[in-house]
Amino acid sequence: MTEPILTAHNLFKAFPGVRALNGVNLTLLPGTIHALLGENGAGKSTLIKILTGLYQADSGELVLAGRPFDFKSPHEATVAGIGVVHQERNLVPNFSVAENITLQDPPRSFGVVNKRIQRELAQQALDTLGVELDLSDKVTDLSVAQMQLVEIAKALVIESKVLLLDEPTASITEVEAEKLFDVCRRLAAHGTAVIFVSHKLEEVFELCDVVTVLRDGVSVLESAKLSEFTMDQIVDFMVGRQFAHRIVSKRDIDRSGTPALRLSGISTSIGHRDVSFDVYRGEVVGLYGLVGAGRSELARALLGLHPIISGQLELNGKAIRIKHVRDAVHKHGIGYVTENRKDEGLFLDFDVRTNIAVTIWQKIAKRFGRISVVDEDRIASKYVERLSIKVSSTEQLAGQLSGGNQQKVSLARWLAAETRILFIDEPTVGIDVRTKAAFHDLILELADQGLAIVLISSDLPEVVALADRIVVVHGYRTLETIENDKDYPTMSKRIMTRIQSMTKAA
Amino acid sequence: MMRDLIPGRFAFGKTNLTLPTILIIGYVILAADSGGTLLSKQALRGILAYLAVPIIIGLAQMVVLAIGQMNLAIGAMGGATCALMATLMADHQIPVALALIIGLTFATLLGVINGILVVITQLNGFIITLGTMTILLGVQYRLVRSFTVDKYSSALQEFGQQNIAGVPYLFIIAIAVAAVLSLYFAKTASGRNLLATGGNAVAARLSGISNVRSIIKAHLISGILVGVASGLSIASLSGINRSIGGDWLLPSFAAPIIGGVLLSGGTVAIFGTVMAAGVVRLVDVARAQYSLDPSWVNFVLGIIVLSTVALSEWRKRRAEENRITVRA
Repeated sequence: MTEPILTAHNLFKAFPGVRALNGVNLTLLPGTIHALLGENGAGKSTLIKILTGLYQADSGELVLAGRPFDFKSPHEATVAGIGVVHQERNLVPNFSVAENITLQDPPRSFGVVNKRIQRELAQQALDTLGVELDLSDKVTDLSVAQMQLVEIAKALVIESKVLLLDEPTASITEVEAEKLFDVCRRLAAHGTAVIFVSHKLEEVFELCDVVTVLRDGVSVLESAKLSEFTMDQIVDFMVGRQFAHRIVSKRDIDRSGTPALRLSGISTSIGHRDVSFDVYRGEVVGLYGLVGAGRSELARALLGLHPIISGQLELNGKAIRIKHVRDAVHKHGIGYVTENRKDEGLFLDFDVRTNIAVTIWQKIAKRFGRISVVDEDRIASKYVERLSIKVSSTEQLAGQLSGGNQQKVSLARWLAAETRILFIDEPTVGIDVRTKAAFHDLILELADQGLAIVLISSDLPEVVALADRIVVVHGYRTLETIENDKDYPTMSKRIMTRIQSMTKAA
Repeated sequence: MMRDLIPGRFAFGKTNLTLPTILIIGYVILAADSGGTLLSKQALRGILAYLAVPIIIGLAQMVVLAIGQMNLAIGAMGGATCALMATLMADHQIPVALALIIGLTFATLLGVINGILVVITQLNGFIITLGTMTILLGVQYRLVRSFTVDKYSSALQEFGQQNIAGVPYLFIIAIAVAAVLSLYFAKTASGRNLLATGGNAVAARLSGISNVRSIIKAHLISGILVGVASGLSIASLSGINRSIGGDWLLPSFAAPIIGGVLLSGGTVAIFGTVMAAGVVRLVDVARAQYSLDPSWVNFVLGIIVLSTVALSEWRKRRAEENRITVRA
């Protein structure tokens, strides 16, 4: 019986308004490939960040190779032997492959980097991985998949005992993924413990030996042998019975008139082809697809951020053109709640009033562009009340609010602007379960009041619970529009099969 | 009155009373130590008259800081504008009013050019204005060479000496400009849009605000203000040469930064900038009073600016830490 290389016992971690980890256990054996599964917001990324020293757990025990640890920085984790390949690339673009592989600790003689040893070390790492790359190529010239391999090689050079791969296949092709799996198997054969995070269950079943599933911050399945489960059973663990089968009654949508927004055969400058769907007043249309399917990008194009190069766009039956975001927002009443509310949604250092009123300044401006702070505050207060946003006053800074309240503020902005078509992008990522349910109710309520809502979400249960119709998106195209009968098992099966058929074809 | 123009806490540096207090205490100490000569009407007039230009150039820098950029060309723009106006009046007998209008238009255009260049190249204003600065220094030299142009309207210079109830016209103009700017940021959609761009450009864009317009507007307003400062300069000086504007850059940063404006953008502090310009002026008065070497002023000013930036960065970090612990 081999000793575990890493164990985590009863980890807890709270953030403002969210309990990200609520008792997580993990046992990692050397030479195994360990799948870490869970839906968005289940606590996977928090766990990864704790293991790699970006966050510190509030309580719980962590043991690496027999010694307890509590990393204060990513550097400490690296030195201790935990290598990680994040979803974002962490390479220096203008450095060569060899320089990047040895970045953390370049070999030196007399204080100067020894290029010869550097190349030898880098080559050794690549040989172990069984990949061929030109050591002097600049990283900018590599493909995404090749960059990933460089990052793995980087982890090898510092003799990582644990290698963490965070959604490594999200942005690479099937063939490249197969190559990556071979690399993982090789590493495992060398005794490295690999943690593999992925949304794609097929590849998890193909590659992994052991599985841990997180749901709402709890490890509901702990370091279990993967071969003892079926895919459906794993999905049940991820989704949770009661949530997957949450019953939301079907809503009656009047689709006899003209749709609020209709896209037919839309192509965009960023690669969308033949995108067609429509949304009616009072309706929630879900855009579902895998990461990278081009859903957020589509919403941004319709907001005027990327040019639409062909196809027909109709607003209430009238053909429109969107040149600027100004047109979309002020003329056509299109709004977009971004998935990235901290970086792209809110003005964190501004007060709540400004954050809500930002879309209405043009409208409430009087002569000489003058705006009355009283008007502004009245409107902001109205939506603070209507969405029950918890603030001490409208002058509280947006950065001081909890995630759920921040999300409501970014929604309030569009209601204040009297938006008629609202794109809501991943609204409940990083929000705890109760707030999530409240937010779902809010979305349905807004639709009942006549708003046309396009919901973009990677959370399939969420889409099935809320949407009246679901548009399946893949590879910057719309595959089909499905009437949602709100029965999760049949809907999820139908949608996933449709997407799988495309990935196999490609 | 200025305080009333600055509402609550919308993106403005908190109107705190530290700077006015420093200003008053400093003035009282200097006055007492001078044996009362600093309290004379004439001395006070001198202090206020030479405060006008620092206030305006501080505001000119502040507007660009509000969008998270910097204008390094402030001094060079002012120098070239002064040189243009002076030569128009002295060598081409252009009437005062017309020369002032041409100067103001010229400075505004320079601002617009800076803005457009920033938008087109998508580079930070820092680099663009570093370039335009160098070009304009050349323009200034071409216009006045190594001479001092002083044969321009004496009426303008007289205007520079006049006052109402002991308050120089020049100072009144500076305060009026500050008041208008304050209204612009507090009460107009355009001013708010500009601050939103500085606060979070991506969020502003997704909310339907044109960052391109905000950037051009900020540089344009900066240009107008430099134009005003140039006019005030000509009125308060006896001649224009190639050194005018050469000592504007540091004070233009000192006033807004000490006044509470963040380098990261999204804030303005008009009251603070005016007060801080006063404090800087006080350092200069002290130098004169004790006949210290002029290099001391730069020395002290440099230290004040550095410590203000360090202090505000430290405060910001602490506030963020508090934010996190409070919410957790």
